[in-house]
Amino acid sequence: MTATPVQERPRARRPATAKRRRPRPLGLRLAPYLFLLPNMLIFGVFTIYPAVNGFNLSLYDSRNLRTFNYVGTRNYERILSDEQFLSVVVNTLLFVVAFVAVSTTLSVLFAVLLDAQKRGRAFFRAVLFLPVLLSPVIVGLVWGWLLDRNTGLVNSVLGTVGLGQPGWLVEPRLALSAVVLVGVWTHLGFYSLIMLAGLQSIDANLYEAADLDGAGAWRKLTQITLPLLKPTTMVVLILATINGFQAFDFIYTLTGGGPVGATTLIVQFIYEKAFQSPIRYGLASAGSVLLFLTVFTITLINWLIGRRQEAT
Amino acid sequence: MRLRTGWRGTIVVAAAAVLLAGCAPGGGGDSGGGGQQPQSSGDFRGKTLTYLYFTDGPDEQATRDAIAAFQKETGAKVDLQIIPFADLEASLRARLSGGQAPDVVRLADIAAFRDDLLDLAPYVGKDYADQFIDGMVTAAKSKDGGLLAVPSDLTMNGPFINLDMFQKAGIQPPTNEKPWTWDEMLANADKARQAARAQYSFAMDRSGHRVSTVLSQFGTRLITDGKETLDQAKAEKAIGTLTGLMTGGKADKDFWLASGSKYKGANEIFLAQATPVYLSGNWQVSQFAKATTFNWKAIPNPCAEQCGGFPGGKFIAALAKSDTPDLAAAFIKFSTSKEQQTALDIKAQFLPTRKDLVAQGVSYTSRSDDMAAFLADVKRTAQENYGTNTSPAFGVAAKAVVDEMSKVVAGQEDVATAVRNIKKATDTRLKEVGE
Repeated sequence: MTATPVQERPRARRPATAKRRRPRPLGLRLAPYLFLLPNMLIFGVFTIYPAVNGFNLSLYDSRNLRTFNYVGTRNYERILSDEQFLSVVVNTLLFVVAFVAVSTTLSVLFAVLLDAQKRGRAFFRAVLFLPVLLSPVIVGLVWGWLLDRNTGLVNSVLGTVGLGQPGWLVEPRLALSAVVLVGVWTHLGFYSLIMLAGLQSIDANLYEAADLDGAGAWRKLTQITLPLLKPTTMVVLILATINGFQAFDFIYTLTGGGPVGATTLIVQFIYEKAFQSPIRYGLASAGSVLLFLTVFTITLINWLIGRRQEAT
Repeated sequence: MRLRTGWRGTIVVAAAAVLLAGCAPGGGGDSGGGGQQPQSSGDFRGKTLTYLYFTDGPDEQATRDAIAAFQKETGAKVDLQIIPFADLEASLRARLSGGQAPDVVRLADIAAFRDDLLDLAPYVGKDYADQFIDGMVTAAKSKDGGLLAVPSDLTMNGPFINLDMFQKAGIQPPTNEKPWTWDEMLANADKARQAARAQYSFAMDRSGHRVSTVLSQFGTRLITDGKETLDQAKAEKAIGTLTGLMTGGKADKDFWLASGSKYKGANEIFLAQATPVYLSGNWQVSQFAKATTFNWKAIPNPCAEQCGGFPGGKFIAALAKSDTPDLAAAFIKFSTSKEQQTALDIKAQFLPTRKDLVAQGVSYTSRSDDMAAFLADVKRTAQENYGTNTSPAFGVAAKAVVDEMSKVVAGQEDVATAVRNIKKATDTRLKEVGE
């Protein structure tokens, strides 16, 4: 009696047919890899190699990309003791926290509103998504006109209702808020669509059951929608964090990092070290490595938290 | 199992990084810098020369005409490669690094490429440089006295006035022989502003180069002979005057604060007739000749302790790695000859770098009075200012001027602190470039 299950187990794991299966020809086994090869080559040459070489470059001092002096960790020491870098890090953290919080909250809100919309859902979805299609340079220029203190449309409207003329782009505190708002406006459509897809994958029976139990709209939102949207929210959080740390192009055309460095974020700092005189490729690379480590760590933490919540 | 595969990948990447870290990027490390033996100028027929160029606008056609004349005279072909000014340094570095260096290049800043430039003296003659403005030639000399570039065109900072506004206020503009003082200019600008009901009295490009004009007029400069020489009291007076105009509402404060660390021209403020005085430079003449709807005039720079303006300018140089150094040198000599420079200056409304043309003047076909105002200031400008402008530390010092002035305008620090910080940034950079 005791021997029977022991004998049955291997049979269940490996069916008899599997034993008889012939190994596929080498060509067939290689085919998937060959299909992947062109993409992996491009990815390797244009992404992996430059990234690894960027780390390598951060250990050297070079002003002309031809003569390189090995300096070990000196570039990291210099960058971490640079006052400008520290203020840039503070600006970046403030921007990322505000950008991620506002975009995630608004994307949930807009997704819920779009989901509830009976008529013209496609139209509103398209309108919300439109800024995503615009070039960041154009976004920066257009918002620069809109937010101009003296001639901008925003202040014209505020002026008509007696709210004065705030210096959106020339007062340091306001400028960072303006940059966050423009960043949110640019990405909101994309995040809302992801949230909308997440919403639509929630089983409608759950809401019907809640209706039968007499749950109100708020209860359904907090007890069904938000908990079940958690995996999607995690994706949006990770994407928004990465986009927040990478923000540069629209800010550069909107404020140029000003006033008085109030909107200079880490990518602009790296860009200026690498491409503006005096050129410091080593310092720029060290900045890039630090940025990569920060984004990687935050993403990893987000992912681990998400996985733990999924498991529970 | 999945975890183990992930670790294996990590180890491979880390090993690659360590291997790469072991080898210096870039390989060769050849710094160029000469080694070419002068060749006798011979028949250039069939030879090709690449010329990396950025254009200020009106000079492009004049340069093409000069190239056509050179090609006709020598039978050589000149491949003109025009790129945006903003890309020049990065592009030239990349090309040098990739072994694709052009033969000839137009440069605004030769300091960054000193090690890569050909010593032209053996080709054009040791005395050739004596024909050009001394201050510019000093900047183009190597440590051992070689000639690394030839000054091709000169710019001079200086003010423009809205003539209609001044006429409304009943104020006559100054003559080239008797410039206004700073006090006179600001008082007259205020009157013109009030008469014309303009928004501001004064506008200036957001540029450390333009502020250097005012520093020089107040009797000090950022760098002299490779040393930081900003006089605290004089600089406070100069910078205090400019920031005071902004904080007092006589100049556009937002314009100065709104563009971060980037250069920004205030020409739109002048073109919109929002100010009677605009401090910029001679390169605006051809643009204003086309774009204005009012009467305007270039006037000589105002004087405080000193008169005159602050120079800028471009150089034409050959690369040491050129395959045809004799042809490159011949082209440079041809382009900077009296005949070609006269043609370029007339067509592009540039200022001459040749002493003979500065002395005799250039007969511009339009707006000649305005160009004469700038030319008059070339003679009044201190030769030391040329050295300041071409110092390898000037870019950083000029950026510090803009950044520190922004802090003063934003109310984050006082003028004295700003000047101290500018001095510190300049000194630090000078030590770096002297390493």
